[in-house]
Amino acid sequence: MLEKVSFLLLSFTLAEQLCKPGDPDGYKVRLSIKTALGENAYVWNDNEMFLFRATLAFAMTKQFDGQQFEVSDIIVCNQTARVSFWFVVTYPHNKTLVDKQVVERAVRKSRNRINSAFLLSDTTLEFIGIPPTLATPVNPSTPTWLIVFGVVMGAVCAGIIVVLVVSLVQRKRKKNETNEDTQVKTVENGAARDGVYYMSFSEDESSVTQM
Amino acid sequence: MEKGARPNWDNPMQFLLACISYAVGLGNVWRFPYLCQMHGGGGFLIPYLLMLFLEGMPLFYLELAIGQRMRLGSIGAWTAISPYLGGVGLAGVVTSLYLCLYYNIINAWSFWYLFHSFQSALPWADCPINSNRTGPVEECEMATPTQYFFYRETLDISSSIEENGDIHTGQALCLLLAWVITYLFIIRGIKSTGKVVYFTATFPYVVLFIYLIRGITLHGAINGVKYMFTPKMEQLANPTTWINAATQIFFSLGLGFGSLIAFASYNQYNNNIEFQAIIVSLINSGTSIFASFVTFAIYGFKATINYENCLERTRLLLLNAFNLAEDSVTIDSVFEWIEKLNTTYPQQFDIIANKLENCDLESELNTAVEGTGLAFIVYSEAIKYMPLPQLWSVLYFIMLLLLGLGSMLGNITAIITPLQDFKVASRMSNELFSGLVCLFCLLLGLGFTTSSGNYWFTMFNDYGATLSLLVVVLIEVITVSYIYGIKRFEKDIEDMLGHRPNWYWKIMWAGTSPLLLIVLLISYIINYIQGGAPTYQAWNIELGRSVVMEYPIFGQVFIGLLLVSSISCIPITALYVYCKKRNDGNHHKRQYSISTVCV
Repeated sequence: MLEKVSFLLLSFTLAEQLCKPGDPDGYKVRLSIKTALGENAYVWNDNEMFLFRATLAFAMTKQFDGQQFEVSDIIVCNQTARVSFWFVVTYPHNKTLVDKQVVERAVRKSRNRINSAFLLSDTTLEFIGIPPTLATPVNPSTPTWLIVFGVVMGAVCAGIIVVLVVSLVQRKRKKNETNEDTQVKTVENGAARDGVYYMSFSEDESSVTQM
Repeated sequence: MEKGARPNWDNPMQFLLACISYAVGLGNVWRFPYLCQMHGGGGFLIPYLLMLFLEGMPLFYLELAIGQRMRLGSIGAWTAISPYLGGVGLAGVVTSLYLCLYYNIINAWSFWYLFHSFQSALPWADCPINSNRTGPVEECEMATPTQYFFYRETLDISSSIEENGDIHTGQALCLLLAWVITYLFIIRGIKSTGKVVYFTATFPYVVLFIYLIRGITLHGAINGVKYMFTPKMEQLANPTTWINAATQIFFSLGLGFGSLIAFASYNQYNNNIEFQAIIVSLINSGTSIFASFVTFAIYGFKATINYENCLERTRLLLLNAFNLAEDSVTIDSVFEWIEKLNTTYPQQFDIIANKLENCDLESELNTAVEGTGLAFIVYSEAIKYMPLPQLWSVLYFIMLLLLGLGSMLGNITAIITPLQDFKVASRMSNELFSGLVCLFCLLLGLGFTTSSGNYWFTMFNDYGATLSLLVVVLIEVITVSYIYGIKRFEKDIEDMLGHRPNWYWKIMWAGTSPLLLIVLLISYIINYIQGGAPTYQAWNIELGRSVVMEYPIFGQVFIGLLLVSSISCIPITALYVYCKKRNDGNHHKRQYSISTVCV
């Protein structure tokens, strides 16, 4: 019994010694639950911490195909009211610290899953020192603006062509009309000179009487 | 076919709307609010309205009267008044040409922004991601996303005027569209212009009204409006205030280009221009005040959002540095907490002290911006924070387009009308001649779409149409008052309108307006001389902001050319006419002597 207790105490103190704030192989995690969830925010307690350690164990196992990481391999310390803490990861078999870069790769690989476990996002669940991989921007084959431009340009060009054609047609029509007018006038003048003289004379009389 | 008959506006309303559409332009939206802010808010209205009555209305009436009386474009009209002063009209045409070259670029930018508004996320809302996908592009991070979108994606600007680059194809396409639309509007002269102005003159007011309602319901808008309207009367003692008021009235009405003369030349002889001149000037100033109300509501909104973002960042900084619980520091208690933490944990506080921003609402409101910076950067930043930003963005840029295209109508008419009075152009059809002018301006304007194009644009904007207009209008008013004679002018107006202009107009034309113009001219020249080498704002890609740079030698030479080329038209034409008359006079003398010999 005493041996078990002393063994537990020893492992506990060992674990505590392994995790220190500012540890070169550790990462600081910061959660902003109230910012993300507002009224639906859950309280951060030991249960949630357990979930975190379990999720991280899942991420590490995913990274290393063969080794099975346990919750006990994720050691947490220096929890604050902010909800921030430091964590280090140890190998399952020999309790040595896992390298910083390896942890980073594992976290980045499963970042989405870790975020969703806590209903948070890249900005509200921060791993200080691990930048989030941003989604690739969606680039459509034809940029949207070019489509709108094409529509407007087409409409305007159509408008110009319509106006030009209309004015050309109007000009031709006017030309034909003036040609007809001059022809009619010459015919009338010819007739007047021949013998319709009296007609025009009587017209003049009527205009005089009107006055 | 009556080729000789001059086309007329379908009704006086079209002429009125054309003048409004021309005078109410981008300057009302982006220059007046800035001046208002710089010169003491509500107090600026006093010099502004005073100058409206002292120089704005009289000069506007003068130009309309000349156009309607002479029934010719600016060159023909001034030649008719005095043969030696045809150069005044020519100077106006040259200045209009410079304006047409660079003004349509603004419309091209408006089109660019308009087309980019049809996206689910506005492209100037967030920074684009860099190639490693680790964070935003560096240039964008140091500047703001709206600045990045304007300087990098819209202009692809170089670091100085000396570094040229390729033509930005997107810009060139938008410029082409702007010119094609301008051509469509003027294709049949005022027959087409007259119909278009019903829309270009009225729709901007609809948008401004919608924006007014939207603006005053925005969070924090009241801060901006209060800031604008609290008058700082001490600014009235500053002579720059009065000079800026006079200059703003002068340029806002678009005097001196010849557009007003051109528009009025298509009027019926008895059209009541006195009433119309008063109405248009009042509407122009009223629009400026209305637009600045809207602008300040938007300013207030943007400043409040920036201030609150600053507070939020500070709050996060405090939370993270001191590991406090999330709900312990609220936005309202940030300042208290700063003091508390500074006293209880001074060493820890010192570590973050340099990261601490100074959040101040006044200083956010104080960032007065004018010109393209206001229209394309500040406004688009405010729009991206509004709910349903795509709709507001589309509305806003359509309004800018209509304002800009409406002014373009006047500018291009100022070039086409006087040139069509000459026999050379009248042989061509209207459509062909207008098309050639538009094509010419488009090809030259492509130079403004290169990487250094924005710097050339600024140069043209600052120097191309400022000093020359003052000189032109000064000579105009002196000519009419003293060379042509006020009495003769009075009689002409009586002939047209049926009554003589009263003493107010005569005093302004003969005395006050020329005096004011001389004062403006002198102050401009003093500014040029005192200002030293002319400078411009260049966008520095490393710092992510604008830096002041001096124009290189070729730039300064070009500025000189711009100024001289338009003003020198006046003496050169006078000299040319004088020489021609002398030659003709000699010819006549010889002919006379021959005929006496013959007899």
